[in-house]
Amino acid sequence: MPRSLLDQHDVELAALAAAGGRREFGELVRRHGSAVRALLRRMGAQASEADDIAQDAFLTAFQRCGEFRGDGTFAAWVKRIAARLYIKRKARDARYVEESAQEEAAPVIDRGRLMDLDEALKTLSPVERICVSLCHGAGMSHPEIAAAMNLPLGTVKSHVKRGLDKLRARLAPEQVESGRAVHVSG
Amino acid sequence: MSADEFDVDIERMFAQTPRMADSELFASRVEARLASGSRLRAVALTAAGLIGGVFAVRESMNFDFSLSSGQAQTQTQTLGQGLEAAGGGANDVVRAVVDQIGLSDMGMGSMGGMQLFWVVAATLVFIAAAGVVKLSQEA
Repeated sequence: MPRSLLDQHDVELAALAAAGGRREFGELVRRHGSAVRALLRRMGAQASEADDIAQDAFLTAFQRCGEFRGDGTFAAWVKRIAARLYIKRKARDARYVEESAQEEAAPVIDRGRLMDLDEALKTLSPVERICVSLCHGAGMSHPEIAAAMNLPLGTVKSHVKRGLDKLRARLAPEQVESGRAVHVSG
Repeated sequence: MSADEFDVDIERMFAQTPRMADSELFASRVEARLASGSRLRAVALTAAGLIGGVFAVRESMNFDFSLSSGQAQTQTQTLGQGLEAAGGGANDVVRAVVDQIGLSDMGMGSMGGMQLFWVVAATLVFIAAAGVVKLSQEA
């Protein structure tokens, strides 16, 4: 008796999809579509734009399914494809480069309010948001991000660090406070 | 919470993605695009084969030769090369059709040649149409 699609592992489904199995690939889209779309939104894409890019990413993944060896997770593999598509689109617009050059206003921290990650990401500059999302959301290394975004490695590291500092200030303000207290008292 | 712990925490938060309400709709859209892409590719390949086939037959019509003459071997090779360019197997199809309808000894530039052209073209169209129907049923 053939196993149902729901019982099959991502690697098995990807192998069947590589042989042209559209139903099997559809199951992979059902499993990981939300994660890919969420990553794109966290990188700064509007909902409709994120959906368009996610669709393109999955179509690309279907064509290249034979390249997926199961070294990492299927979701991470598609996320990287999607992230690179988003970066390409942004590079065409060249908006995020211009925006990153602007000094953004310091975020107003409402410490009494519980902030979730999506809200906290909005306090980052576009380029910081992309770098942090690529690093911690798509699992890309700093050199990979630098290559994908055509930025110097040091710049990428700075963006990630500044982005994380801002997220920490929003999501774990007590840590920032204690760090300052130690700094002042020391 | 140390900086390293916070990094881990951030990665955990990134990994937490609730299933979106329209995830089924999104998957259907991707599947629809996959299907339409496949159909487009099938139609494009069929059209390319058809055009190539017709082109090859037309090219072969430019040679005024008789299959029963002394030059038959060379001319058959020329015809075969032209048909090979259009895609495999067409040479055999043409030969079979020519033999079946008794035109193997007719000059290609004659009225019989024109008949042969239309017979071959109709056969290719039929094969292409059958291929499109089969592929669209599979899609």
